[in-house]
Amino acid sequence: MKVICDREKLREGLSIANNVVPAKSTRPVLENVCLVATDDALELVGTDLEVSVRFRIEDVEVTDPGPAVIPARVTLDFVRDLSGETVTLETKEGKCQITSGADSCELVTIDPDEFPVISRFSGDGNVTMQGGSFTKLVTQTSFAAAREPGRYAMHGVLTEIDNDILRLVATDGRRLALTTTPVDGSKAPETSAIIPTKGMQMFCRVISDPLDQIHLSFGENQVGLKTRGAEIFARLIDGDFPRYAAVVPTETSNALEADREMFSKKLRLVANVTGDEARAVRLKTKKNELELFGQSVGRGLATAHMEVDFKGEDAEIAFNPDFVLDGLKHCENDTIRLEFNERNSPGKFCLGENYVYVVMPITIDASTPPT
Amino acid sequence: MASDQSLTILHVDMDAFYASVEIRDNPSLEGLPVCVGGPASSRGVIAAASYAARKFGVHSAMPTAQARRLCPNLVLLPPDFDRYTAVSRKVMSIFRRYTPIVEPLSLDEAFLDIAGSERLFGDAVDVGRQVKADILRETGLVASVGVAPTKFLAKLASDLDKPDGFRVIQPGEVREVLDPLPVRKIFGVGPRTAKRLEQLGVRTVRDLADLVREDVARRFGASGLWIHDLAHGIDPRRVSSRREEKSHGMERTFPNDIADREELRTLLLSFCEEVAFTLRDKGLRGRTVTLKARFSNFKTVTRTKTLDFATNLGPRLFTVAQELLDRVERRPLRLLGIQVSKLEDVRQPAQGTLFGTPEPSSRDDWMESNQKLEAATESLDKLRKRFGKSAVRPASLLYRDEVRGRDGSSGQPGVAGRVPEEDPGEDS
Repeated sequence: MKVICDREKLREGLSIANNVVPAKSTRPVLENVCLVATDDALELVGTDLEVSVRFRIEDVEVTDPGPAVIPARVTLDFVRDLSGETVTLETKEGKCQITSGADSCELVTIDPDEFPVISRFSGDGNVTMQGGSFTKLVTQTSFAAAREPGRYAMHGVLTEIDNDILRLVATDGRRLALTTTPVDGSKAPETSAIIPTKGMQMFCRVISDPLDQIHLSFGENQVGLKTRGAEIFARLIDGDFPRYAAVVPTETSNALEADREMFSKKLRLVANVTGDEARAVRLKTKKNELELFGQSVGRGLATAHMEVDFKGEDAEIAFNPDFVLDGLKHCENDTIRLEFNERNSPGKFCLGENYVYVVMPITIDASTPPT
Repeated sequence: MASDQSLTILHVDMDAFYASVEIRDNPSLEGLPVCVGGPASSRGVIAAASYAARKFGVHSAMPTAQARRLCPNLVLLPPDFDRYTAVSRKVMSIFRRYTPIVEPLSLDEAFLDIAGSERLFGDAVDVGRQVKADILRETGLVASVGVAPTKFLAKLASDLDKPDGFRVIQPGEVREVLDPLPVRKIFGVGPRTAKRLEQLGVRTVRDLADLVREDVARRFGASGLWIHDLAHGIDPRRVSSRREEKSHGMERTFPNDIADREELRTLLLSFCEEVAFTLRDKGLRGRTVTLKARFSNFKTVTRTKTLDFATNLGPRLFTVAQELLDRVERRPLRLLGIQVSKLEDVRQPAQGTLFGTPEPSSRDDWMESNQKLEAATESLDKLRKRFGKSAVRPASLLYRDEVRGRDGSSGQPGVAGRVPEEDPGEDS
């Protein structure tokens, strides 16, 4: 293999590949990046067998097509510190020489046959949409996915297509984010797949231009995403996603509308005094006035008030302020709408036209007082 | 320094409590070497020894077999915790006449803070005398009382003059009292620390107090600062009537080592039921479950698991405990115990879960039965409180005798009568 390419492009590709490549693996070959020079492009492939990335650099000068498998981390570190505009990569006698201007290094290579075969995106997939729209859907949901070990099915974002609607849902069992967008369904079969959070993050990572089209392809056990310069494949989570539809309140007796910024500010204010564990801020309405109250044994208490638009009987409900603020961060509107029934049933935050965020309240169980 | 502190803290310690109760109720025992504890045949230990028995070198936590060797005429009685508890309640109620700030340490000792009660009952020394007299008059038992400006000094004071002691450490005489004491008397200085201190030439509290603070901190870490403070009579701990409980557990040393896993599991079930009952009774639940196992060679191991959600249900604890037991090497065990920590008040704000269950999907069914169990448990507890704890038991424990501790106590976790086995070093 011998190829000359732009240094910055190469650095970008290596950096993206390194997001996937494991630092330490029981299969050492995975700690490498596989470079493949074709007639008109250089491809960089990295994988941890869960998520795989293929990054394509065009406008390269290939004198000798072929593969080279070299240590991913070292290569990135080296290329990052090079100063020339272009970089020459050349393999000979089991070594790969990287040269830029007067600087060069020689890296050990591994037999390319040992590197796992990574799928290739065929055609335009099942769904095509603007990169920016897809990124937005992902950021609106993925933050709510579970992180604690042991709830495998919730460690990803449920991605569904039905009736020309693309729906993303993520939950950790205490809050749930759900967002939808219409898609051109002519090519999209009904789909339901749990895409691991890490895979979703990689998808967003390679969408460099929000205006570019991206393509999604759903397979039996993996999902692929194609941008102009990259392809990502993520192994789907094999598990039962909780029955989310049942927990999104449809009919609610209380509805509160508030200025988003003011609400966030008051919430943060009161949250300052709540403790580290079992943080709770109580929202209490009295006609059109909202009282926010927080308390902890160690720190004290705080109260804040604000005007809201409230429909329903005077009510109260308490939430973990961090959960609420997580959602408010992604709110599309200047006004938030909170709908709920009881103080122990889920609250629904409407944060956009097709974007809801359901948060389970915090309740104080008074049923068994200690004797 | 302690000198600017006022004299308000009392430490009251009943002398040879269990043994004294026995002698009080059976005067023919007067003057005899009386001990309360488990029989030597089942590796019993002494829970309490009368002063007549102590003359032979017998002391609490000593194996009964050894006590018998020291004192062949030993009168050994099985403990009757119900009776001791009743007496203890009486004693505690005497304390509460003088101040609401009473911190019981066990059945037979407590701290009292009389700050604020002086106008009603006189100063700490007066209250101390009255408490001691009340106890003798109303229970026929003798208590030792220590009066001092801090908890540590008060406890030290009650111990200095035992039995039938009454010792006051005035704020001005703290140094005088502390200085000559061996450093072992400092709360927190065990045999190991004492040995390390000895290597530094530290034998008395004076020696420890003279060390440079930074130096002690460097050698002994945070606990170094603590013992250094105590050596200076500094003890900021307040007497707290609401002692926050950190953990609840139960462990037993068996009369004979047990290798049969089925047998061990059954014991574990009874422990879990018992501990869960106590937690519920106190309005607590816990997240971390720790299993302790000791092999025949005294090697002790612990296995721990932290749950996503706190529980106080026996079967839930048992599920975890079994998992933990499976992680213990299959060798005969001498001791087995279970402990629940990371406790929280059941009334503390609880984050609700969206899917009705902490772990949805695959565990749905299991959790559903958990909720039913919770509802059922409430009714069962009512029965247990009315008819005694053995009124309702898991079927697998039906025809079993209650597991008794080495001191002969029945299965009540956390009571004062429990004597922990000397621990020759943990490893987990």
